[in-house]
Parts: sequence; structure tokens; C-alpha cells
Amino acid sequence: MKNFEYARANNPADAVRLVGDRPGATFIAGGTDLLNLMKDGAQTHDRIVDVNGLALTDISHGNGFLRVGALARMADVGAHRAVREKFPVVSQALLASASPQVRNMASIGGNLLQRTRCGYFRDTGSACNKRIPGSGCPAIDGENRGHAVLGVSDHCIAAHPSDLAVSLIAVDAVVLTNGPHGERRIPFGDFHLAPGDTPERENVLTHGELIVGLELPLTPAAAKSQYLKLRDRATFEFAVVSVAAALDLRGRTVNDVRLAFGGIATKPWRSTDAEAVLRGRALDTATIDAAGRAAVHGAIPRAHNAFKIDLVQRALSRVLHELGGVR
Amino acid sequence: MRVNVTINGDQRQADDVWEGESLLYMLRERLGLPGSKNACEQGECGSCTVYLDDVPVCACLVAAGQCQGREVRTVEGLAAGDDLDPVQRSFVEAGAVQCGFCTPGLVVAAHDLLRRVPEPSDPEIREALAGNLCRCTGYEKILDAVRLAATRQASGAEAR
Amino acid sequence: MSKSAPVRTPTDLTSSVAGGIGASPQRPDGNLKVRGEFAYASDLWHEDMIWGATLRSPHPYARIRSIDITEALKVPGVYAVLTHSDVPGKNLYGLEHPDQPVLAVDVVRYQGEPVALVGADHPETARRAMERIAVDYEVLEPVVDMEDAAHGRGTPLHPGGNLVRHVPIRHGDQQVTAEVVVTGEYEVGMQDQAFLGPESGLAVPGEDGGIDLYVATQWLHVDQKQVAQALGLPLDKVRLTLSGVGGAFGGREDLSMQVHASLLALHTGKPVKMVYNRLESFYGHVHRHPAKLYYEHGADRDGRLVYVKCRIYLDGGAYASSTPAVVANAATLGVGPYDVPNATVDCWGVYTNNPPCGAMRGFGAVQAGFAYESQMDKLAAAVGLDPVEVRIRNAMHEGSLMPTGQVVDSAAPVAELLRRVKDKPLPPVNRTEPVDIREMPGGASNTTHGEGVVRGIGYAVGIKNVCFSEGYDDFSTARVRVQVIGGELSALAHTAACEVGQGLVTIMQQIVRTELGVERVTIAPMDTTIGNGGSTSASRQTYVTGGAVRSACQTVRGRLFELAARKLGVDAVGLSLHGGKLVSDLHGVLADLVDVLGDDVVDETVEWRHRATESLDPVTGQGNAHVQYGFAAHRAVVDVDVELGLVKVVELDCAQDVGKALNPEAVLGQIQGGSAQGLGLAVMEEIQTSGGKIRNPSFTDYLIPTVLDMPPMSIDVLELADPHAPYGIRGVGEPPTISSTPAIVAAIRAATGLALTRAPVRPEHITGT
Repeated sequence: MKNFEYARANNPADAVRLVGDRPGATFIAGGTDLLNLMKDGAQTHDRIVDVNGLALTDISHGNGFLRVGALARMADVGAHRAVREKFPVVSQALLASASPQVRNMASIGGNLLQRTRCGYFRDTGSACNKRIPGSGCPAIDGENRGHAVLGVSDHCIAAHPSDLAVSLIAVDAVVLTNGPHGERRIPFGDFHLAPGDTPERENVLTHGELIVGLELPLTPAAAKSQYLKLRDRATFEFAVVSVAAALDLRGRTVNDVRLAFGGIATKPWRSTDAEAVLRGRALDTATIDAAGRAAVHGAIPRAHNAFKIDLVQRALSRVLHELGGVR
Repeated sequence: MRVNVTINGDQRQADDVWEGESLLYMLRERLGLPGSKNACEQGECGSCTVYLDDVPVCACLVAAGQCQGREVRTVEGLAAGDDLDPVQRSFVEAGAVQCGFCTPGLVVAAHDLLRRVPEPSDPEIREALAGNLCRCTGYEKILDAVRLAATRQASGAEAR
Repeated sequence: MSKSAPVRTPTDLTSSVAGGIGASPQRPDGNLKVRGEFAYASDLWHEDMIWGATLRSPHPYARIRSIDITEALKVPGVYAVLTHSDVPGKNLYGLEHPDQPVLAVDVVRYQGEPVALVGADHPETARRAMERIAVDYEVLEPVVDMEDAAHGRGTPLHPGGNLVRHVPIRHGDQQVTAEVVVTGEYEVGMQDQAFLGPESGLAVPGEDGGIDLYVATQWLHVDQKQVAQALGLPLDKVRLTLSGVGGAFGGREDLSMQVHASLLALHTGKPVKMVYNRLESFYGHVHRHPAKLYYEHGADRDGRLVYVKCRIYLDGGAYASSTPAVVANAATLGVGPYDVPNATVDCWGVYTNNPPCGAMRGFGAVQAGFAYESQMDKLAAAVGLDPVEVRIRNAMHEGSLMPTGQVVDSAAPVAELLRRVKDKPLPPVNRTEPVDIREMPGGASNTTHGEGVVRGIGYAVGIKNVCFSEGYDDFSTARVRVQVIGGELSALAHTAACEVGQGLVTIMQQIVRTELGVERVTIAPMDTTIGNGGSTSASRQTYVTGGAVRSACQTVRGRLFELAARKLGVDAVGLSLHGGKLVSDLHGVLADLVDVLGDDVVDETVEWRHRATESLDPVTGQGNAHVQYGFAAHRAVVDVDVELGLVKVVELDCAQDVGKALNPEAVLGQIQGGSAQGLGLAVMEEIQTSGGKIRNPSFTDYLIPTVLDMPPMSIDVLELADPHAPYGIRGVGEPPTISSTPAIVAAIRAATGLALTRAPVRPEHITGT
């Protein structure tokens, strides 16, 4: 790890300035991912700005939405009554993440910036376009069971690791930021970037821009939502594939739906194509299967991850059958 | 940098702390408290579980600077002098300790569970301990230990 | 001669000392461990100490053109940067063949091979200095295929080629045929010991030019020998003391940081602490050999075995470590605990550029067990028999002949163990509302409320040799001392046998209490001031060191009787010790031992050996190679979400014969822990390599079972004494690791109808996509 300066911010403006001033600076909230990345040498900074002193931990009701402070801890948000009742998919995604100790420390804002578990990215002895742009992507022809089949490019196939982010995209969350250029509201679907030819850029935040909170719109679909996570052991492990679904049925007909996927894509992956298959149709096994096919349309399998294409459709089918009460 | 932190009730100060050090390193190498264990140093095993402001976290994932002005309670701070905490006593009696490297973290995690849920069900115990890996015991006797500690605390509470 | 009745009978008196054999007293180190005060190797600290770090090869196979340490030496806070030219003694070590460099010279053969060392004032300083060591590598194409390596194809990595050892076994008629033939090809992935306490230790330079090394190891004397050779020092200048060991499971039988820290300490004149992190630990110890196994079983229509033919390949990786012995185990135990009249077994252990493999709990028997038990299920299906029935029909028993020609000359209750697990009540099916999803496949992740879930039941039984085999002079040394301290009778037991968590310290106390009737027993630190204790492996310490402690106690007892005879003027014959009292057959209690001893100290050291074994004939594989066999059987009950490929092991039951349970609770702990490691291999654990590189060197990516993965276990412990072993005991630690994996995979097969020829089983193997 390189030497760095440890600074504390007393208010958001202070934080934005302390990071904005210095190209190599970054924020630390829970630090549960950042510290590992720095220890591994996968990420280096010359200044760390501790934002834990900022008053950004509240979970409060607004007009038609729930507002969650960026520094609220994963454990607290997952257990929060309003989150459990109005956004079950978010609560479930949080409680299926990491371990109790990590959820006690990790912040909501930081989780959105969590970086991939790609072994080549974490191993500084390997080439990686995300870590060293232009150095190559050994995963494409290497060990890629954990990698993405959607949103991939010739430069990167690393899967996005966050469960929470998958659930947030399924409830139309809005990311609230405060940066050198003022405040912004970023629709969740616009927040993360697919790798394209700049895999080092993972989101639209500008340097020094601080996530201050999230807005979760209260919708009938969000209130009837579910997160399904498939993993290699019962707990404390990232998703092989995951599905976040929010469903508003009128009778048997799909009035509104959100479908998002984890483990299979380079960013939290919402499939509007799959949603379109369902919207306005009666929810039955045939439409569910069609939605599944639409969700994986264009997927690019590699040597070890082709199984995910089928598996995620099965997972989607399971969720929709259960949420929709389809037998 | 200098870090001031309350540990097991005592005001402690560590000087010349390198910013990249973790709370775990500070405890083990600077403050003479090696009870919290260094099994993975990546937040993957729970062996270094400590209370930070009364919430169990992995000390290896806490930057030294993040502890400034906060309260830490480690496995060394659970017993009252020679009297083991009921959780500690139960771990010994139930045979939940083999190599013992996971034990300090598990003891803190179980201690936290029993504060929150005095009479946990088996699934609740398992969920609460999901962040603590053990390689020796297969967990059976660890479950026995937590059940025993819960019973012991319940009877202790009745006695009062 | 008239015989007066003793005041109290010896039988009464035996019970007066608590915590003897057969009881389950608490561990002597338990309180320290729960308080966080037990000093593990990574907890050590010394005034003025510095930190050591190891620069490792990023390449699985490369030639080293040059190493330039100039810039590293300039980093402030750096005390030393060492390379192979700084190794004063022999720069090669190894458990069986010295083929592994302490520090690489001109070639590296695996990713993670040590190349240089740094000693610095802070671990971070050392890391930065390592970044400034310039190693010029010519990267070479790695050898990664074990079958090629066995048959002479590919680049030879060592002077003698890539075959480490081939063990053939030819038993019975080699041309025999059978009515029913089942064949199978199996693979076992590379498993990691994943002990939680990382490799660590402290090396302190001695005033005599020697070194005092405090480390976590499994075998102090084999470390001592190898360290001394590398340092070019006589044995007496290399003194080792065991520090707290955070688990071992085979992974600490080879050297890790021992020589490295010592080199830095001798070079700098300062105490040197080395602690691996988890990443480095994955590179810093040997793993379980991945295996490829080809089997053919021939039987009659009743399912009775006629022959077994098998070819087993074990990938030993870059250096030999204990590969030769692992090969012998896989071969000699390759047909399992069955009566097999004719057998043709070939097992090859090879060099490749994969990570080095060596000892891990089960040691060759695990890989073979997965294959032969899978075959027995196939045979059961082929002849239309229940899987347990086909096993019982072929079960080995006392008096059976091993394929090596060795007669199994103590209890071998294979059929009984199988019947026991079969007869246990089955757990209820979790399908009644409300379903607790935490009990379902996928657990709390909301994958199923029962949709797609199919239950399966599988059985397996395994065999493991106990103690070192093939003529090895396997012994342990124990010293027992009895004296009066503060008016109280005290015993001290001292060995060099390593406590790694299994509870040897408890067993030693129990033996002394039972043999000498002394309640207060202190266990001296384990170190090299006493003779060799042998390795804490092969399920052997209770047997061999337990035997040595018992033997030392017997010698001490004889001395005490002589002392008593002299002081009390009685005949030494017919005396015994009970509850701190000296008892005569004729006269009952004669005196308190405290009074007999007075200021005298009785202190005896003995070496104790188990009965000798023989080497295997190199052509036929015949020979009485093993000391003792241990057996365990498992029944696994699983729920499989066949649509999503998720497995929940609902219950894992075990029956094992332990000869005599010296500490019944510790026996259960071994069975539970060993079974959990077998579960891990069945459904999640594998070091994934790609081109020789480890792709998952962390506990996030290499998964071991959590508390939510381990099911409840119902365990039957049989105690059928082995007349050849101390107290009749049979080694406990390894058998449960062998049968647990195939039982679980069999249960998954039963639920899915899939062949599943590879462990671990992953979701995609079940979904078939």
C-alpha cells in the first residue's frame, strides 16, 4: 500500500473539497471494500477522506418516497421496517450480502461503489484493463466462471458484485450526490457504466462527487418485490446469479414490472426487454419463459460461465412464479 | 498519526500509527491485545470480530483512523477478572474450542447475539454466526456452547 | 501365605482421580483460548524485533535471469534483503526428497515460490522493499497435465523427470473376468487445509550463533533437521519451541517460514517475526493432491467383487513434499474396505507446475475413497442391490486380506458401521407449511420454499491407515516427572509432539492421571530439548505419543515403587498407585505418595515405537506396510433444488470405530470437524488453477463450510479394542474426512439421477447447463 493522508470531513462541502482538490483522493465510509483493494494494491490513493462524521445515516419518509442516507449501514437498512415492508427486494438483497459483521460496518453509498471480485482484477500480478487500462483481459480466455455474460466488451467481462445495486435498479432508486459542481439526482439505471472500452470507469460520478443518499419511490411493484440469490454456499458469498423482481399485478395481468440481474452482468443489469415481454400480459409460465429468453438475449458465454445463461432464466422463473402466485 | 481510542473501558493512545494500518494491527501489534485474530485480514472469516461502538465488526476492515474517539471492546474485555463471561465458559465446557483461532471472534459474535436475543432458536444462532468460519469443529459444539450460554444466562437472570 | 484384605480395593481408588482416560475433561488451554490470551505463533513479540517478508514468483514456471536487490536495500527501515546466495547451508529441503530450494536459484517451478527475503522495521516497509527487487524472469510454458507428466510427456521439471513415484499392486489373478463390470472416471479437485492461523513464527538469534525458533508446526524435529541443514548449523544450535497452532490438517508438515525467518535473524542479529496473510498462506503451504482416477469393478451377479482395476493419478505440483507416501496410501487403500480377491492398482504421483501438494487429512485415501465408493454405488445399481447391501456383502472384516497381502489383524467392523448409519432414523422432510427457508437449499437467499426440491440419501464407508507406514521408524519420545510441589503431588509430561488443536495436551494429562493417579498434571512446552515426537499427522499422536507417555508413566511408576520399597522397607512387587496413594496388594494403602517422595524427584524419558512395518515390493506392491486401519461410515441426507442446482445437506450421520475413546467428547469433535471438511470437498472446496496459477487465493473465493452449511450429525462411536495399540485405541482424525465426501455426492446423485463424477459438485453440474 502506498502512503496516504487520512483526513476527516465535518460536512459534505468539506468532504467534496478534500477529495476534489486532490486527483488521488477518495472517500472512505465503511471501508470494507476500499481497505481490501488498497491492501491488495488494486487501488491506490494519496488521501482518504473519512466521511463517517457526516449526518447521512437517517432513513426517512418523503413525499412518495423513502430516503436513505448514504452512511446508513447495510444491517440497519436491511432491518428497517419501512424497507422490509415497502421494498422487500432491497431488504432481502442486503441481508443476503456478506456477513453480519461486514453489514454492520459497510455503508449503503459505499456498497454502490463496490468493485468486482474478478480474480485478475484483485491480483496485481495479472494484467487487467480495469486496473491498468490497456494491459489486457486474461479472464476472457482464462478462468471465467464468476464472470459476466451480459454487458461485456472485448476489454472486460468482470461481473458487478453488489446485491444491493441489483435490487435498487429494480425499484427505480435515485442516487443523490453532492459534488464540486453542486447536487445531482442520478436515476439508478444511469449510475453504473458497462465497461465498453473504458472498463476503469464504473459509474458516472465525477471526482469529488459524494453520494449523500438514495431516494426509493414508493410503488406497488416495489412493495411486491423479491430478491433471489444463488450462491456456492449457504451464506457469506457473492452471487453466482441473482434476480431482483418487482411486480404489480392487476388480476392476472402484469401492470408494472422491474427485472434486474446480478452475477451475470458487468453492471447491475435491468432488462427492459424482459419487462416488455411481461407488461400488459397475463402472467403464466409461457410468458415467464419468454421473459427469461428476452433477459439473456445477446448473452456472450465463455468457457466456464455458459451455464449462467440457463440458470438465470430458471432463477427468474422461480421468482416470478412465486411473486405472481403462478402454479 | 495519533489515534485515541477507548479499549475495554480504558483510554488508549497509539502514536506513529501508519494510516494504512487496520484496527486489528493496532490492537495486536501496538496495544498488546493479540486476542483478536488475524486469520484472513480481509473480512472473510470473522476471527477478529470486536465491538466498535457496541456493534460487532471485523477489526481487520477498520482503518486505524476510523477508530479515532470511538469505543472498542475486544475478547480480552469480556471476562470480569478471573470470571469468564458465560459465553466463554460455555465454549470451554461444550468442547467448542479446538485450535481456538476462530474462538475469540465467535465468542464476541455469540456474546452479541445473546445480548440481542437471549433465547435464540437454532436458525437464529446459525444466522448470527454466519460470518465466523471455523475449520476444526464442524460447528456442532459451537452451537452447543451458544445454547448452553443462553440457558446459563436465562437461569442467571431468573436467579436475580 | 495369608492374604489380608486391602483397606480399599484398587478399583475403588481408580475413580478417585478425575479426568483420566475415558472421561472428557476440559482442555488445559481452553480458558486461555476463550479469553484471547493463548499465544499463537502470530501473536509473538520480541523487543527489538523486525518483520520478515517473502518475495514470491508470479509465474508458475520461469527461468530467473537475474535478481537485483540494490533498490530494495535503499528503502529506509530495511535491514536485509536476502537471496539464494545468502543461504549458508544446503539450499534444498523436503520431507522425503530434498528437491525444494529455500530460495529459488535460476528457475521457479510454481507461482508463489520464494525468491527473496526482506527484513524491515514494519511489514509495510518490507512490502515496499519487495516491490523494488528486480527479478528478470524468462517465462516458460508450464507443465500442468498430470497424466502427461506420469507418462513422460512434456518438459522434465526435475533432473529425474516428472514421475515422483509409481506404486503398482498386483493381487490375485491378473487375467480374471467377471459377469458384471462397471467402469468410471473420476476427478477430485485440489483441496486446501484452510487452517485459520496463518503460517507464522519468531526467530531469535542465539548468543552461540544458533537460532531459537518459535513456530506453529506439525513436527518440530523434522523442521529442526531441515532448518539446520539449510543454515549449515549443527542440530543443537537450532532450537525449536512450538507456539500456539491455529489448525494444521497436514498443511504444516512442510516448512514454510522456518528457514526464511532464521536466515533473516542470523543475518541481521535481530529477532524476526514472519506472519503470512491469507493470500500468502494459499501459496505458502502444500494442498491436497488433485486426482484423476480410472476404475473398473468386476463382480458376480450377486454383487460380490471379483476384481478391481484402477489407475490413479495424483498431481504433486512443483515439489515432492510427501507425494511418495500419498501415492502409497492411495494405492494400498485404493480398493477400499472390501474383500477384493483380485486387484490391479497403479498409482502415479507426479511433478507439474501446479501448486505443490502434500499432506492433508486423509492423505491419498480421500481421493481413492471418492472413486471406489462411487463405483460401489454403480455396482449396486448394476446388480439391482441396495447400496448398503452391496457394501455389506463385500465388507472387509478382521482377518481379511488387503491387496498388499497384509492381513487385517484387528477389528474391521465395516458391515456394522454401515448398518449403524443405515438404521438411524431419517430426518423429517421439510415440506410442511410454513417451510423454514433457512432449512432449504439456498438457505436465507429465498431460492425455494420446496419447489424443485428432491431429497436424496447416500452412503459411504472408508478406510485409512493409522501411523507412518512402509517400514518408517515411527516413534515418539516422552518424559514424565513426578515430584511434590507446594505439598501437592504433581506430574509433568513433556514431549515434542505438536498440539495443533486436536487435544493431545488433554489426552496426555488423562493418561498421566490414569497411570500415576496424580491429578495435577502439567504439560511442558513442546520443544526440541526432548527427543522426536513424530509428526502430528496420520491420526497417530494419541497412538504413538500417547503410547510413549503411558510407557514413561510405567517407568516412573517402577521407580516410585523402588523408592517406596527402599523407604518403607516393603517389597516393590505388588504395589500400585491410586489417587495419590501407594497401595499394596497385600496391605492396602501404605502411604501417601507425597510422603514417600518427599524431596525426591522421579523423572524418566522413554522412546516408544509401534510394531514395525515393511516396505512394499516395488513390482507387486506386496508387504505388511501399515500399522493399523481405521474405518468410518457416513449416511448423508440431502435436499437438492434440482432446478437451481443448490444442495442442502440436511443430516450427516457417522459411525466410526475408535478402538477406545480416551476422550469421548474430543472423539466427537474430530468426527464432526473431519466430516465438515469432507462436506466442503463434496460441494464447494477447490483451489482453482488456470495455467498453473491459483485463481481463488482468498476465503471469499475459496469457500469452506459455514455454520449454515453444516447439518446436525448423529454419531455412533464403536470401541472395539485393537490389542496391538495402547489402550486399544484406533486413530480417529482422518477416517471421517474420507467417507463424508462420497456419501454426500452419492446422496446428490440419488436426488438428481446424475452421474456426478467430480468433486466438488457445483450448481452447474446439477443443472447440467
